[in-house]
Amino acid sequence: MRIAVATFALIAAGSLPALAADQVGKAPPTGAYKKVSELVKLPDFLPGLGQLYVDPKTLPAGPFLAYDREGRLVSTVYMLPVEDLSNKDKRFDDLAAPGGDVDHVDVYFNAGHPGVEKPHAHIVLWHVPKADEARVAAK
Amino acid sequence: MRTSYSGMYPRPTKHGLLRNDDVAPTRPADRRGALLAGLAAPRFTLAHESVVIRMQGNSDGSHVWFDPIGLRIEPGQAIRWLNLDPGNSHTATAYHPKYFERPQRIPEGAEPWDSGYLLPDESFFVTLRLEGVYDFYCAPHEHAGMVGRIIVGQPGRSPGDSVSARPASGEPIPEIALRAFPSVDDIMRRGVVRPT
Ligand SMILES: [Cu+2]
Repeated sequence: MRIAVATFALIAAGSLPALAADQVGKAPPTGAYKKVSELVKLPDFLPGLGQLYVDPKTLPAGPFLAYDREGRLVSTVYMLPVEDLSNKDKRFDDLAAPGGDVDHVDVYFNAGHPGVEKPHAHIVLWHVPKADEARVAAK
Repeated sequence: MRTSYSGMYPRPTKHGLLRNDDVAPTRPADRRGALLAGLAAPRFTLAHESVVIRMQGNSDGSHVWFDPIGLRIEPGQAIRWLNLDPGNSHTATAYHPKYFERPQRIPEGAEPWDSGYLLPDESFFVTLRLEGVYDFYCAPHEHAGMVGRIIVGQPGRSPGDSVSARPASGEPIPEIALRAFPSVDDIMRRGVVRPT
């Protein structure tokens, strides 16, 4: 009985009004987005970020769309190489932001990973409250 | 007179890397045993027993490292790189023109290696037989200073010879990586150098 209730709750969450253009609220997003773990050799679920999708044409900046274990969008992430950020001739303009309302933003250094090999900054636009960051925490 | 080891540095047994009493007698006063050990060590030293170098990272991926970062082993001993970082992929790649045309920083004639990307909990083995200094890096994290150094047996004529940053047509080694290598002396003295 409990399982039935949980299932119903999931279906209800999934039927929230769709966003315009690419449908990104639930994984997998529509459009040119591809699962990052299928583009490069990375774990499917990254603790602290979740399951990532990106349009390969937008690498390295993104946006990367990050989903929790139930496939719900939790954040939009941009990955900006440190050497580009300190290059006066380099700009990142008009980066797409399809994820809707932003609750808060985190910016932090990342040493690199397959896909974005150089040290870079993660700029994370959280679409969920602080407490819900736990949805993409390590198990 | 000790005949088992002519090197200027103590054997790595004291650091716990060798665990087989047959080839690492704990009582060197027995000269015959020591002599036998000296003969046996190059060919039979624990090829089956690997030493682990862990690939690690912190939770937000801002810091990544090999642990240990410096290691001294006997010829013929196997190294196992193990990715213990749940949020990232790492490689163990020898500095050698064969892989990405990088400068050669392993002994002349030694076989270079490239693990390819290791996912969490995956590992990769290499057995090193030629004596000398072997420098390696993690391909996606070289620019974050993720490198390591293994010394097999004795480091060679002079450290400068065996680890020359000989230019190749590929990318030079970034400054942050060059600074991260533990010194040959430090590795020979301590056997195992942990990242700080
Ligand atoms: Cu790495």
